[in-house]
Amino acid sequence: MNEKISSRQLYFFLACVAPVGKLVFLPTELAKYAKNDLLLPLLVQFALQAAAVFCVLLAARREQSFYDLVADMGGAFTAKVLSVLLALFLAFATLLPILEQKTFVQSVFYDTLPSILSFAPYFLFAAYVLTHPLPALGRIWDVLAPIFLVGMAGILILSFGACDFGALLPVGAAGAKGFGRGVMLASSWFFDAAVLLSLLGKFRYRRGMAWKGTLAYVAGGAIVLLFFAVFYAVFAETAMNQLFAFAKTSKYFAGITVLGRIDYLFIFALAIVMAYASVLPAQAGVSLLSDAFSHPKYLSLILGISLAVLYFILSLLLDYRFGQAVNLINGPLFWLFPLFSVLLPAATALVGRKA
Amino acid sequence: MKKFLKTLPSKLWILLFAAVIFTFFSNDFGLVDIQKTAIILAAGIDRTEQGFSVTAQIAVPDSSDRTKGGTSSVNIEAEGATVSDCISRIYSKTGWVPKLVFCNLIVMGEEAVKEDVVSYLNYFLRNEYMPDSCLLAVCAGTAHELLVSESAIDDSSSIAVTKLFSEEAKKSGKVLVTSLKDFAIGYYGVSESGYLPFVRMTEQVHAGEKKDETRPEEERRMIYSAEETAIFSHGRMVALLPREQTLAFSMLQGNVFAGTFNARDGDEPVTLSVLTNDGGVKLSFSRGPRVEFSLDLRVRLCCRGLAASMDDIAGDEVKGEILASAEEILSGYVRDLYETATESGCDLFHLRRDLYRSSLSRYAEWKEALPAAAVPSYRVRVHSTK
Repeated sequence: MNEKISSRQLYFFLACVAPVGKLVFLPTELAKYAKNDLLLPLLVQFALQAAAVFCVLLAARREQSFYDLVADMGGAFTAKVLSVLLALFLAFATLLPILEQKTFVQSVFYDTLPSILSFAPYFLFAAYVLTHPLPALGRIWDVLAPIFLVGMAGILILSFGACDFGALLPVGAAGAKGFGRGVMLASSWFFDAAVLLSLLGKFRYRRGMAWKGTLAYVAGGAIVLLFFAVFYAVFAETAMNQLFAFAKTSKYFAGITVLGRIDYLFIFALAIVMAYASVLPAQAGVSLLSDAFSHPKYLSLILGISLAVLYFILSLLLDYRFGQAVNLINGPLFWLFPLFSVLLPAATALVGRKA
Repeated sequence: MKKFLKTLPSKLWILLFAAVIFTFFSNDFGLVDIQKTAIILAAGIDRTEQGFSVTAQIAVPDSSDRTKGGTSSVNIEAEGATVSDCISRIYSKTGWVPKLVFCNLIVMGEEAVKEDVVSYLNYFLRNEYMPDSCLLAVCAGTAHELLVSESAIDDSSSIAVTKLFSEEAKKSGKVLVTSLKDFAIGYYGVSESGYLPFVRMTEQVHAGEKKDETRPEEERRMIYSAEETAIFSHGRMVALLPREQTLAFSMLQGNVFAGTFNARDGDEPVTLSVLTNDGGVKLSFSRGPRVEFSLDLRVRLCCRGLAASMDDIAGDEVKGEILASAEEILSGYVRDLYETATESGCDLFHLRRDLYRSSLSRYAEWKEALPAAAVPSYRVRVHSTK
């Protein structure tokens, strides 16, 4: 447990791993409500998250875990309650990325509808990741960051030829209603600061880390914004029908008729990053509980395996109810995301300053 | 080392087990049997009293003749209330699972485009396993007749038709190509307009041979052309652009490279080859909407209808008289094109879309009146290579 995440690894996470989950369904969902203004709600969400990331990194100066930080200010009981609530939230937030991952793999990597079991090995992988301590992730982020950059660059380069950026005009066409609905809907994909809370105490604070980390997050956000612009420029009015966005934009590259679907190399690269990114929030939740209950033996193991089994069962139960699950998460329960991913990080920064 | 060797068999077993599990879960054990799969190369759609008729051209393995290249195919037709219904019936008729993942062409019969085509194209738009880069075309007669016809130049009619839509054909300016995705963007955009190539087939008759109407159907060899273009408004075909207007539209899009067109040198016909093509349609507002069509071509003399001197053939520069004639002819094509489009109510040049993107308030004011209310002006310049 003495292993710490290095500052480089943390920046890689913020710039290259955190953005990947936003590239599957979010572009399509935003195009449905905000239409050609889809960049505006996204910009607002990134700005809010960047501020929240800055707050968490400020709190990181004390080099205490989330539990210790809250316990110093509000006592052990409050810290335990908050840790459990945050862990529950993170476990809940993991559901959407896992369902996205499942439908993505089943639709993009198969040319007919495969059996439900075909995605089952993912849950073995999830159990493996969930039972490992968070600091072990640092080394994985070192590997995933270049994979993400290569995958993203490849997809963007292959997509540019089919772009009509005029489709993003006129700005404001969706109106306040479309913008508001877009901001609300996008909330479910923005919980990076909440994940970062679980990493408190697991990396050493370096001078300037707060703004450097925020800058890394903003850089990742800029890549996502560019991808969304390309996505809408390729599909325009039909964008709301294009599920699995990052697997779609590059297929109109002129060379594909001669070379075949070479863009799959880049799609696979992003899918690998996505496999780790999708299970990360739950792993962060397990880590929080482990911190809160003083790392009892086998707790991580039991929680990790239980969560993997739970997600497997939920994925079976929600197999043909994906739309309903997304509507529930984005609709009546959307407020959970700003509560735990914006307000809680801001409050933690405040606690960090006073404690 | 001893310990490693002792545990080696168990490690190998684990690796083998992992490989088998991986292969199983990646569905390699459950691959769709190729013998039970209908790989649809093209789909033809016609309207019937019952609803729709879909003709699927299905690739079949042809191992009997190894000296023959290409793709053999069979055509299966089914009727139903919706396209999905028709596809299901093809499945129940043949026992083959229809797969659209390689479908590169959807042909619609003449009658099928008289009503909103998205009423059946939406099946393909919704289908995640169907490439939306698939090409669309309208044909004279029925799509069934086109697909079941015997091509004179290829094993399958759909492959012969798809060859008409190659990048090279597009550059010649003789054909305008549209994919399912592009057509859908035009339909769902504010212009609600689009275009598709119009395919005609004629019987291939050898030199000196007379067309024999009594010849059995299976002995007739067909050739296809797509020099005309069907234009659409609100998903319905509203007019047919002749080959001259198709060329003019290609030039306005700046598509043409090495394409040719005819001009006149006095009374004699000459053919000019296009080396560079800049084209554009610009909407502006000055006491109402104005639309400017601009064409700027650099050409060289490709052919005369008469014998010419060696000096004339070797000379690079095209005479001013020919260039003036070319400008006049092309201006006429563009003028006719604009008239055809506006009279039919098709916003072919996406004037409404351009206005929407530039000013929401002006769009609200003019969206009903465009494109008919726009005052056109034409600027056609044809230059010689030197």
